[in-house]
Amino acid sequence: MSKVNITIDGQQYQVPAGEKLLWAALDCGVYIPHLCANKDKERPDASCRLCFVEIEGFDAPVTSCTQEVFEGMVVKTRTARVDRLVQTAFELLLSNHKLRCGKCPQNRQCELQKISRERKLKLKLTRLRPLLTEEKAVDDSTDVFIYDPNRCVLCGQCIWVDHKVVEVGAIGFINRGFKRKMGTFGDVPLAESRCTQCGECVKVCPVGALVFKEKTE
Amino acid sequence: MSISDKYHAIRFAAVEKIEKIKEKPHVLVGTATCGRAAGALTILDVFREEADKHQLDVIIDEVGCMGYCYAEPLVVIAKPGFPALCYGPVDEGTARRLVADFLVNDDPCYDFAIAALEPNDEFPTFEDFPRGVIEKKIILADCGLIDPDDIDHYLARDGYAALAKVLEMEPYAVIEEIKSAKLRGRGGAGFPTGVKWERCFQAEGSPKYVICNADEGDPGAFMDRAILESNPHQLIEGLIIAAYAIQASTGYIYVRAEYPLAVARLRNAISQAREKGLLGDNILGSDFSFDVIIFQGSGAFVCGEETALIKSIEGKPGVPDHRPPYPATCGLYGKPTVINNVKTLSYVPHILRKGADWFRSIGTENSPGTAVFALAGKVVGTGLVEVPMGTTIRELVYDVGSGIKDDKMFKAVQIGGPSGGCLPESSLDLPIDFDSLQEAGAMMGSGGLVVLDEDDCMVEIARFFLDFTQKESCGKCTFCRLGTKQMLDILTDITQGKGSLEDLNILQDLAEDIKMGSLCSLGKTAPNPVLTTLKYFRDEYEAHINEGRCPALMCKDLITYIIIPEKCSKLCDVCIGSCPTEAIYTRPDMLKAIHLDKCVKCNNCMVACPPQYKAVIKVSPPIVEEKEETVEGGKEDE
Amino acid sequence: MKGGEALELLAGELEQIQAETAEILQQHGTGRQELIPIIQEIQERLGYLPKPAMEQVARALDIPEVDVYSVATFYNQFRLNPPGKHQIKVCMGTACHMMGGHIVMDSFERRLEIKEGETTPDREFSLERVACVGCCALAPVVVVDEKVEAKVSPIRVDGILLTFEIEKKEQEKEQQEGGAEE
Repeated sequence: MSKVNITIDGQQYQVPAGEKLLWAALDCGVYIPHLCANKDKERPDASCRLCFVEIEGFDAPVTSCTQEVFEGMVVKTRTARVDRLVQTAFELLLSNHKLRCGKCPQNRQCELQKISRERKLKLKLTRLRPLLTEEKAVDDSTDVFIYDPNRCVLCGQCIWVDHKVVEVGAIGFINRGFKRKMGTFGDVPLAESRCTQCGECVKVCPVGALVFKEKTE
Repeated sequence: MSISDKYHAIRFAAVEKIEKIKEKPHVLVGTATCGRAAGALTILDVFREEADKHQLDVIIDEVGCMGYCYAEPLVVIAKPGFPALCYGPVDEGTARRLVADFLVNDDPCYDFAIAALEPNDEFPTFEDFPRGVIEKKIILADCGLIDPDDIDHYLARDGYAALAKVLEMEPYAVIEEIKSAKLRGRGGAGFPTGVKWERCFQAEGSPKYVICNADEGDPGAFMDRAILESNPHQLIEGLIIAAYAIQASTGYIYVRAEYPLAVARLRNAISQAREKGLLGDNILGSDFSFDVIIFQGSGAFVCGEETALIKSIEGKPGVPDHRPPYPATCGLYGKPTVINNVKTLSYVPHILRKGADWFRSIGTENSPGTAVFALAGKVVGTGLVEVPMGTTIRELVYDVGSGIKDDKMFKAVQIGGPSGGCLPESSLDLPIDFDSLQEAGAMMGSGGLVVLDEDDCMVEIARFFLDFTQKESCGKCTFCRLGTKQMLDILTDITQGKGSLEDLNILQDLAEDIKMGSLCSLGKTAPNPVLTTLKYFRDEYEAHINEGRCPALMCKDLITYIIIPEKCSKLCDVCIGSCPTEAIYTRPDMLKAIHLDKCVKCNNCMVACPPQYKAVIKVSPPIVEEKEETVEGGKEDE
Repeated sequence: MKGGEALELLAGELEQIQAETAEILQQHGTGRQELIPIIQEIQERLGYLPKPAMEQVARALDIPEVDVYSVATFYNQFRLNPPGKHQIKVCMGTACHMMGGHIVMDSFERRLEIKEGETTPDREFSLERVACVGCCALAPVVVVDEKVEAKVSPIRVDGILLTFEIEKKEQEKEQQEGGAEE
């Protein structure tokens, strides 16, 4: 496989040609925040808007999950503009997220907490207003796991696994805009849907939205 | 038979038919959706009934929209021996008079006429008015003058001549001509159409597709609807030419399902074009085959975004993808696809027929051609206008639109809808083209142009557009889904007098971040209305926040309706009758007053109060009710 | 009736839904791109998208039901509950808003005692907002059962509803008279 030379934050690396920058950087040990990225997806979602970087010669920050590496690419993962965008995207996600980490079964295993640690971002709202004014009901209908929509970040990982890996087709994105959510046909509880309770979707959830029941006890 | 022979045979038959029509009196009634809303179908019936009654040998046709919306319903009468005259607004009485006096006798009823369509010694033409002097009609030229349901009307006016010419050219030569004309996409950002076609032409993969984007979603624009309803063949011809240039065999017209008349007229136009051999296999006997499918959009503004529109045709939710890859290389079903707006494609036949040099001679150097605007809001001459690029906003509002209604003060124009911005009085002399608007923070967008006067609150306008984009956001990306919601909440607070100055900073920061960070152009342009109003009308925001006052007296929570005792006539009860909530009562001294707690601020009483009194007024900041008065007033029932 | 509430089908309704859906499906291929045209036709015939119809469509196109539901809940056009007998669509386009469209919406909400997006309990009226019907010069505009009403004021709102009331009363009277004759 051919390789290209790139520079990330002053360090030089050799990475596989044709690879998306996000994966190349992660393989080199450089952390870039991300939630929706999935190496196996045909076309990147680019929906979480956390993996911004700046590339020399580009006039605006770009999402690293969509940007292919090229020979001589010079990348900066931390600039004033990148930090500002990442902070705002992160705060926006928090503004619609149940923020009681102590009570969350995924405490210490959550990607949001990792981003907060890596980028020194607070895990509470200081600037924006909380949008999660009414808590939505938690779905604990299955024997294996629970679904807490109040913790969902809409990364789409579970839906992709459901459709493309286990090929069950129980869940999908429903509604539009602010009301967009992961749900079932007719909004029925998971146990009443086509869900086989295989638990594969739970394994890919980066936050505490889908959690195995054994963890919640 | 060669391609041109075939074309000339079809055209000749059409011309003969139209010449025959011209021998008789010809009545054209504008029955596009806008005309219908104003009652055009009733007028059409009256003409038919009256003509029957008088046993007249006249031809009565339904046509599209001439663009003079303020004068709907519009009727054109062409009687041999007289100049063709345009009348409006025509009510039933006028229609009867026109039949009896003009069609039966020879009195053209100049009192009801707006203008003549051709120069004559009797009556001024549209070109004699300021609007006509500035306007330069290309794609609207035939709208309202030809029968959209009869292809022969279009053919007789050199319709499909460009197609016949193109079929004898090399596909790439067509692209060169469009590139040389510097035609820019009329859908919003103004991307060069020729470059788009070239990329698709050079892209590998087959089949290739062309799509006409007629998913007009801007809540203040209706030109695409008017064009589809008035001259569908112009667009179809442009689409076939685009298909030939990139060598596509299938095309789609993606049209809003909310435009049923446009869909019906398009369907009919397509089947007529097929019958004439202008669509389908071996068009005009050439090797080129192409057909069109109408796809009805299900109502999602985001489908104006190319990648979302494609998803929609593929049967999925209209959620945009990251670009690149662009549709020109990887579009519908992963194949190279050209997507052009209705207006863009409508220019194509004209450019091919009259040449790139002709097109470049109109408008400005970097934005050649004309701009079509839907002129609405507080302007006298509302309607659809087509002016050369580079026309100033002042000319548009004051010459073309004849100024502000009711002698009010001009405040701003909102150009480009939810992606555009509000420009203040100081921008009146800005020449309108793609680049100048973008520099000013607005956008050509789809061409909605809403004129705002002193009664329009700029904070409320910004809130309205944000509310729209927030509702229409697909919800995929974080910035647009949650960022626009945050902004909307702040703006709603401000219009309710609950904002703080710190909110303005957060609003500005969020707007900038959403603009830079969003996935698609819906999100990237959504903050424009807020950014421009913050820039040009910050004082209005501050009045809401600091004084709890809405300077335009528009924000409901910040106003109170009161009746001025000195102006109220004791003898008049009109306001009481107009009130839907029985909030208005008669005081012991017979003067009228409003229960503030019952008033729902519907504005009825203000409209109802006779102009000689004008006793109802709005005040801001709102009056906090004094308890004693309510108790006293509440007893007045007799 | 609120948007999210499930709806009990009346006797015979299920059979009718299935028959109509099957007929529509017959006229289409089974590719995914047929999905939107199919459900558009179903809604045109039935007035909304009943759950059994969506299941039937999913089976015919060999896609998960939730994919049909994703599409049905994404676009403004689709309705998951039956609409009222009379559909009132208030234009909320820019021009209509500036000319008082929101006041017209308020009036309908007050008169019908429902919120936008809802149907009256007697299923007579449903109230919706539309983005723009393209008649900006005649603002504010309301579309009542496909007919465009121009320059609507709150007083005209009463007039529109009164027309329907009178119509309904006359129909009832006719029915009574008709019944008496028999």
